[in-house]
Amino acid sequence: MDIQDFLAMEANSDRDDLVDLRALDFVSSYDSHLMCPICHCPFVQPVRLQCDHVFCQKCLGSAITTFRSADSDEFPCPSCRTPTTRISTRVPRLLVNMCDEIQVRCPLVGEGCNEIVPRGHVQSHVEKYCGYRLLPCPDESYCRCERCNEDVMEQDFAEHDKELCPSLEATCDDCGSIVPRRSLKKHVETCPDVVSACAASQYGCSVKVRRADIAAHEQQCPLVSIGPYLEAQNTRLNSLELTMRHLQQRNEIFEDGMANIRSTLLESARVSDADRNGGRSAPNGDRDGQALIDAEDPADPANSFSSHTTQYLLSLHESLREEVSQMSHALTDLDARASMTIMNECLRIKEDMAHTNAALNSVRMQVQWLMNPRLHNGTRANGMRTNSASNESTRTQLTSTSAPGPSSGTGVSLGPLRPRRPSDSGREGTKL
Amino acid sequence: MGSQKRIAKELSELVESPPDGITVELADEANLYKWKVFMEGPEGSPYQDGKFLVNLTLPTEYPFKPPTVSFGTKIYHPNVTNDDKGSMCLGMLRADEWKPSSKIAAVLQFARQLLLEPMPDDAIEGRIAEQYKNDRKRYDEIAREWTRKWAVSE
Repeated sequence: MDIQDFLAMEANSDRDDLVDLRALDFVSSYDSHLMCPICHCPFVQPVRLQCDHVFCQKCLGSAITTFRSADSDEFPCPSCRTPTTRISTRVPRLLVNMCDEIQVRCPLVGEGCNEIVPRGHVQSHVEKYCGYRLLPCPDESYCRCERCNEDVMEQDFAEHDKELCPSLEATCDDCGSIVPRRSLKKHVETCPDVVSACAASQYGCSVKVRRADIAAHEQQCPLVSIGPYLEAQNTRLNSLELTMRHLQQRNEIFEDGMANIRSTLLESARVSDADRNGGRSAPNGDRDGQALIDAEDPADPANSFSSHTTQYLLSLHESLREEVSQMSHALTDLDARASMTIMNECLRIKEDMAHTNAALNSVRMQVQWLMNPRLHNGTRANGMRTNSASNESTRTQLTSTSAPGPSSGTGVSLGPLRPRRPSDSGREGTKL
Repeated sequence: MGSQKRIAKELSELVESPPDGITVELADEANLYKWKVFMEGPEGSPYQDGKFLVNLTLPTEYPFKPPTVSFGTKIYHPNVTNDDKGSMCLGMLRADEWKPSSKIAAVLQFARQLLLEPMPDDAIEGRIAEQYKNDRKRYDEIAREWTRKWAVSE
């Protein structure tokens, strides 16, 4: 493209990039040939001239505006001063890649980002990934307070308007002085003209004077001087009331318990009475005790209650014992029955096993009888063959192993021979 | 604004690894555009042992406009004006010769080289240039004397 086009492109290209690629902190070292001769930084958007010199697009733009003699269509190359008319934005990919892979520190290192990225990625890192970039708050709805010219957030405006605005003032009702509204409460607490009651008002002093005069009154007021004593009495009364309440509660609980006990005793007495009247079979001792109790009954009802209970408990005990003995009887019964059934079962199983054994034996006999002639013939022939073969092998073994020691040689040669014969004969014996 | 970044970068480079016989500082901490450079007279020149103050002023259009260099210490040299301005004429600093890719370090090294080898054909002080060409011995003598007088601090 020619100079006019280039300058137009340069003017249109986006200038407000987030990151100034020339102000970066370069971590890795780079070749000085990757440095633009004008800005002395690694090329940013390099462009190439006819003379093969390469510059950043922006640097070349400023060089052209400085060096070009009024609107002529050529300018001297900033490196070699060759008159140049055409600029190529096509530079070797290699050059761009080498510039873009130089490692740089994230420019937000001041905010705390310690990331090191290739220069080609720093733009997108800052734009999208860097967690330290400062952003404007999305909620910018401020209201301006008209009285104090202060920007207040919308949510706080009502409070500001009524209380916090420093321009608001309020008059103290008592002393008539004018104070900022926000400190009115504090003022009222300390205002010397506020009428307040005597400290002993709770004990009956009805005097009410200004705060400034109250000290003088309190020195004379008799109620104030006995105030501490009354206070102590009050606390004592309170604590006593508390203990009283506790005791009352405990008492109630005890009474309840007593009533319960009484009602159970009455019930049991009635039950035992019914027992005695209903069944005459009760033991003698029991009847005697009952008679004794009956005799004493009118004299001492409490004593009769206790004897009734013992009687009741004894009878209960007795019946329980009976039940237990019945249970044990039943248990032994069950035990005997179970062992009998087990024994029966065992006997039957034993019989079955004897039968099975007999059948098995007869089958074995038959099988042996069937196998006998065939085995007899087979082993004869086999035995003769194997015997001759093994004899030959032992002979060769003998000759070969005679060198280390004759005794061991014979041992080896007899080993395989000996067990065969007895086993063969044994088998023949069983067959017969 | 672009100029400030580049100037700051070049300044930090010069302070961190200064070239031979040259130290750089800001004349005023708040102003990046005025530098104070102390240049030691190169060995083998009549300016040896002298320490010359060089004021470097950068235009706001830097690096598109060249910086200006002037000697704050009086010096007897064909390329430096013999007045209280002490302006120095460097070929590469002329507006039509200046290239934005030149660095200040290169300018300062060039200036120091000029102390070692004056350029009488490109001189401001014609008289001194003439003397340098025809009566080298006398030139050396005066230059050494001026150096001793102005540029050597006891």
